[in-house]
Amino acid sequence: MELFNNLIFGFSVAFSLQNLLYCFIGVLVGTLIGVLPGIGPMATIAMLLPITYNIPPVAALIMLAGIYYGAQYGGSTTSILVNLPGETASVITCIDGYQMARQGRAGPALAIAAIGSFFAGTVCTMIIAMFGPPLAEMALKFGSPEYFSLMVMALVTAAVLAHGDMLKSLAMVVLGLLLGIVGSDVDSGIKRFCFNFFELTDGIGFVIIAIGVFAVGEIISNLSDPEERQVFTSKVGSLYPTLQDMKQSIAPIIRGTAIGAFFGTLPGTGPAISSFSSYMVEKKAARDPSRFGRGAIEGVAGPESANNAAAQCAFIPTLTLGIPGSGTMALMLGALMIHGITPGPMVMVQQPDLFWGLIASMWIGNLMLVVLNLPMVGVWVSVLKLPYRMLFPAIMVFSAIGIYSTNNVSFDVYLAAIFGVLGIAWRVLGCSPIPMLLGFVLGPIMEENLRRALQVSEGDPSVFLTRPISLAFIIATVLILVVMVMPAVRKRRDDIVG
Amino acid sequence: MKSMTSRKLRTLITLTALLAALAVFPVSIFAAADDYPNKPVRLIIPWPPGGSNDFVGRPIAAKLSEQLGKQVVVDNRGGAGGIIGTEAGAKADPDGYTLTMTGAAYTLYAPLHDNLPFDPLKSFTPIARLGSGPNVLVVHPSLPVKSVKELIAQAKQKPGQLIFVSVGAGASLHMGTELFKIMADIDFKIVQFKGGGPAMTDLLGGHSQAFICSLIAALPHIKSGKLRALGTGGKMRSAVLPDVPTIEEAGVPGYETSNWWGILAPAGTPAPIVTKLNNEIKAILATDDVKKGFLKYGIEVDHLGPAEFGEFIEKETANWTRVVKKANIRLEK
Repeated sequence: MELFNNLIFGFSVAFSLQNLLYCFIGVLVGTLIGVLPGIGPMATIAMLLPITYNIPPVAALIMLAGIYYGAQYGGSTTSILVNLPGETASVITCIDGYQMARQGRAGPALAIAAIGSFFAGTVCTMIIAMFGPPLAEMALKFGSPEYFSLMVMALVTAAVLAHGDMLKSLAMVVLGLLLGIVGSDVDSGIKRFCFNFFELTDGIGFVIIAIGVFAVGEIISNLSDPEERQVFTSKVGSLYPTLQDMKQSIAPIIRGTAIGAFFGTLPGTGPAISSFSSYMVEKKAARDPSRFGRGAIEGVAGPESANNAAAQCAFIPTLTLGIPGSGTMALMLGALMIHGITPGPMVMVQQPDLFWGLIASMWIGNLMLVVLNLPMVGVWVSVLKLPYRMLFPAIMVFSAIGIYSTNNVSFDVYLAAIFGVLGIAWRVLGCSPIPMLLGFVLGPIMEENLRRALQVSEGDPSVFLTRPISLAFIIATVLILVVMVMPAVRKRRDDIVG
Repeated sequence: MKSMTSRKLRTLITLTALLAALAVFPVSIFAAADDYPNKPVRLIIPWPPGGSNDFVGRPIAAKLSEQLGKQVVVDNRGGAGGIIGTEAGAKADPDGYTLTMTGAAYTLYAPLHDNLPFDPLKSFTPIARLGSGPNVLVVHPSLPVKSVKELIAQAKQKPGQLIFVSVGAGASLHMGTELFKIMADIDFKIVQFKGGGPAMTDLLGGHSQAFICSLIAALPHIKSGKLRALGTGGKMRSAVLPDVPTIEEAGVPGYETSNWWGILAPAGTPAPIVTKLNNEIKAILATDDVKKGFLKYGIEVDHLGPAEFGEFIEKETANWTRVVKKANIRLEK
């Protein structure tokens, strides 16, 4: 009953004309920067933060939050249409989304991404309202050993990402792990593989690699093969998903939402890991995994729901404990502090209008986004009809601006160009960059937490087995390994018997 | 000899300018700086937006715009612990149109790094220190210590067992922690995280026991009882935590750990411009607005003029060089 009253109070705050307007501005800007490759929510929020000095704090936070989750909606658009991730969390959507577009099914892919995101957004708004504080307390139970075991599980599961040559995929994962090492070692401060470039001391940005490999690499290799391009632009089929599509997507959307909510609540993980995990789960759960990578709608529905769920649930530790789970969330806290509101457990009590107003606005914002995005599907699909001599330079310019705006450093743009060349090399060699990106994302988290856990336990590795949550992840990892290895073993035995 | 006279001269100019400022305030006119500024001024904040450097720098930039009659544009250039933005500031023209915000990390650059792209003691002309804010020593409430003395006793009883979190090797908070270890003559583990957020999360979860961190980051958790404050790092008690003793009075004589913020200009910036800027900044810092605004973040106005600020930087750099050597911290191989 109290929850009901709180929500009504929240909606009364969010439904003021001013807050509705800022919510709309937020989701609109979010969608736009989501669509533009390279320009992410973090850079945008950083740029807009000074403006919020002159806006009331509730409105400011509603707008900034709108940008953040709005970007998760827009991020899938370019992934699906032109195989360029608009947002880091949409990298995985490229795999099946782009294949769907090539088969003339860009419309259904875009629509299902929006529908999945809306479902995830709605569910997660409810989760924050109902279970926010207890969930945040649970997230605090995760120490270094738990994070390490969780990441091991994620990396082992990643083996299903491999299609084609297993050895090449493994090599790419290792390459990703190595790239993740670049930068200052957090424990000793020693600079690893920085070659005296201070620009590398914070490590290589995910955006730089993703844009380099996908945007630059994709464009160059497409230019070298113009015929292939024309084939699929001519056949843009139905704009909306069929009943069959919807049926296939229901389970992935629900699973994706659950996965995203889990990772979103944990500080330090975020939307990218959620969408990766969701894709791996969907591929494992599918009756015919070979459809993945060839335009399976589940490979769009799951991850796109997962990244929006994660974006939404990232507000749980931020709002209830005042702990930023990511750089973007740190900026949100900064926005509060600009107004002299100290983020922390007291915000819910002292500033109920802010807490409940924001939660209510999230649902309204998600509704706006789905209304905004579904009719836009037709417009986006028509982008495919643009001549490439216009489309490609535009993508390159926006990518460069996006990369530059993250740190205002031109070094990053050159670095992206280098990754563009590497991207082409990998394409020629038949190596998928996805396992590399996964290694790159998970590697540093694993390394840091492994070293911290061992430092605390004085080098005793049993710490991973004596802590219950960590043990549960280790057992799950072993089970996953067994399940993955079993079919191969059984097949061999069948071969012998047969 | 030459530097002595130039310093005297500078002090003289400062004094003259001060008198002038007092006489004709708020329109302070100083002959040679007459036409400065005639275009927007850029203030580089070498950290990402939303942090303490922003909370100090942006209000100052806004007020400075009003005073100077030209826009002071904030340019956040984060990366490499402030080195990238500071480098851009060092290499800008010394004409007063590019200023750089700086803080406690600045006096650690020289002791910790071998190939800095600038010389912290030579590449800049200090303009003014703006304010300072103490750090605070907090512990998880599950640790049965109520004071700094009890914490030290606990650490002596079980050497190397207590776990302090920190925000990355070589950061100013980490060096403050190392200094505490040396001055309290105890041994404990320091576990590093990438930034204050993750370190605070680990401490709040009870996976570690203590943290020397910025007051503003710990304040909400101290107030809600999720963390216990044992001591603040300033020379005097903090106005926002008047009941908490300083670490110095609680049992570690001479210990101090705090952050400070200041503004630099590239070396060679004309003295009249430096003086003019310092005068304007001093006047801004004296307003109640700014004082109250800073205090919300646990920061107190703490102005130093160009000469004193320069001496402060030299003294701090020398201090940290000793600590870095003693703690045996090396970021380069």
